[in-house]
Amino acid sequence: MLNMILLTYGLAVLSGILIGSISMPMVTSRSIMFALTMLHSILGGAILGIYLNIVLGMSIPVPVTATLTAIGLSILAAELIERGFAEDVAIALSVSIATTITIVFSFLAAYLSSTAIAEAWLYIAGTSAIATIDDFSRILTASIIVIPLIHIISRELKYIAFDEDGAKALGLSVRFYRYLFYSLIALAASILSSTIGVLVTHVILAVPGAVALRFSKRGSPLISYLTAIGLMVAGYLFARVINIPPSGGVGIFSAMLILIMMAWRRHA
Amino acid sequence: MQGSVESHEVTFRFGEKLALEDVSFKISSPFYCVVMGPNGAGKTTLLKIMLGLLKPQNGWVKIYGYDPVEDAREVRELTGYVPQIVNIDQRVPITVEELVAMGALSKTIPPRMITRGIKDKIREVLDLVEIDDPSALFTELSGGLRQRALIARALIKNPKLLLLDEPFSMLDFDMKCQIAELLYELHKKFKIDIFLVAHELSPCIQLEPIVILLNKRVYAIGRAEEVLRLENLKRAYPGLTEVPAGFILGEDHA
Repeated sequence: MLNMILLTYGLAVLSGILIGSISMPMVTSRSIMFALTMLHSILGGAILGIYLNIVLGMSIPVPVTATLTAIGLSILAAELIERGFAEDVAIALSVSIATTITIVFSFLAAYLSSTAIAEAWLYIAGTSAIATIDDFSRILTASIIVIPLIHIISRELKYIAFDEDGAKALGLSVRFYRYLFYSLIALAASILSSTIGVLVTHVILAVPGAVALRFSKRGSPLISYLTAIGLMVAGYLFARVINIPPSGGVGIFSAMLILIMMAWRRHA
Repeated sequence: MQGSVESHEVTFRFGEKLALEDVSFKISSPFYCVVMGPNGAGKTTLLKIMLGLLKPQNGWVKIYGYDPVEDAREVRELTGYVPQIVNIDQRVPITVEELVAMGALSKTIPPRMITRGIKDKIREVLDLVEIDDPSALFTELSGGLRQRALIARALIKNPKLLLLDEPFSMLDFDMKCQIAELLYELHKKFKIDIFLVAHELSPCIQLEPIVILLNKRVYAIGRAEEVLRLENLKRAYPGLTEVPAGFILGEDHA
């Protein structure tokens, strides 16, 4: 029992660290909408993976299909932006493809298998109320890959967000950094979705970075990390107390924090 | 290395929309050059072609003998770029030090750390542009200091040519004069060639620059007093009206 509790809260803290690392550069590089719509791709990829596994009997782990789909559709959107399409148009196209995948394969999976929709729902709501070593290992692996790389390229991401033409004129490969950043977000978000669920990932992704920018003019990464960890742990605790899924607890605390920020802004 | 910047019959279209047509000029170093024209004249497009960010559909540009696309590395070494202030995202929390470091760090590989050596160089260029506090946020600076910080970012690379996009926009008249004089000082003291685009000339006219009158194509080129004649201005600025006290141009180009 103690091991399970430690594992669950360990997972919450680790997920918080991973979220804190990507949230801040997402907010400063104006990629939040992009990241949020990426969750459609993750859901589409997950349902495609479930269909491939359950209906066609292929043994590809669902997070792998979800990650690859998210990376593929993100790179498609990034390439469209590079080729001069408006960002909202590129994002809309990516979302429409992801939604089509979700609708078609959820229908096919439900039609051909009685357990497919239940498994898809776990991806939406999350499974981490009962965290497993497997969940922990996946988040740990994603953290080991994503966090150092994000820190290595954070300065370049800031420069590109600040002055894209200037960055290009200085010789930075904007396309490379954009692809890498979106791929890292896709990896982190899809692994998070496979444990804490698409919904809560959607809810919490932007909040730590926004809080860090709100309460520190320079956008302190430490505030982003602490906010993400705090929201995850408080959300998990609260969910346990009132007996709801952890995603609900994290969602409630995130919404409360956003309301506090709005009140603070009005007060200021 | 050839000591000139040359454009030969450059034509550029955004889709069907013509931005530049047969733009040709050659200016020899040392120069302090102002490209003047109304909004939509293709001034920024010309700068982007000179930087290698856009490739003309026809014609070519040479920066001291180098092609900006094929010899991108050499052109990047030789040039410093100062963007139009409205084209940068001022919501990004970046300090003056980080901004200026961007110019020096671009020559290194990731992870790009601000070393003591780079800090010293930053201090040097900030002294040159008269900014005291490297830790200040860019967003907290006045318009004039923002422009100076962007110029410092370009200067830290020790460029031979400074390309500036509307450096006087959104500044009051005194600030415009100060920036024009700073650029002139850089030109005279450090032998840096200046190539700036602006829709107004007043702050630097006293500094006797070379003027290129552009509105998709070159209407005149030469010393300011030769170029800024009514007949030339009327051709380059379609909305120009003559009044006894001087000129009123179609937009805010007076």
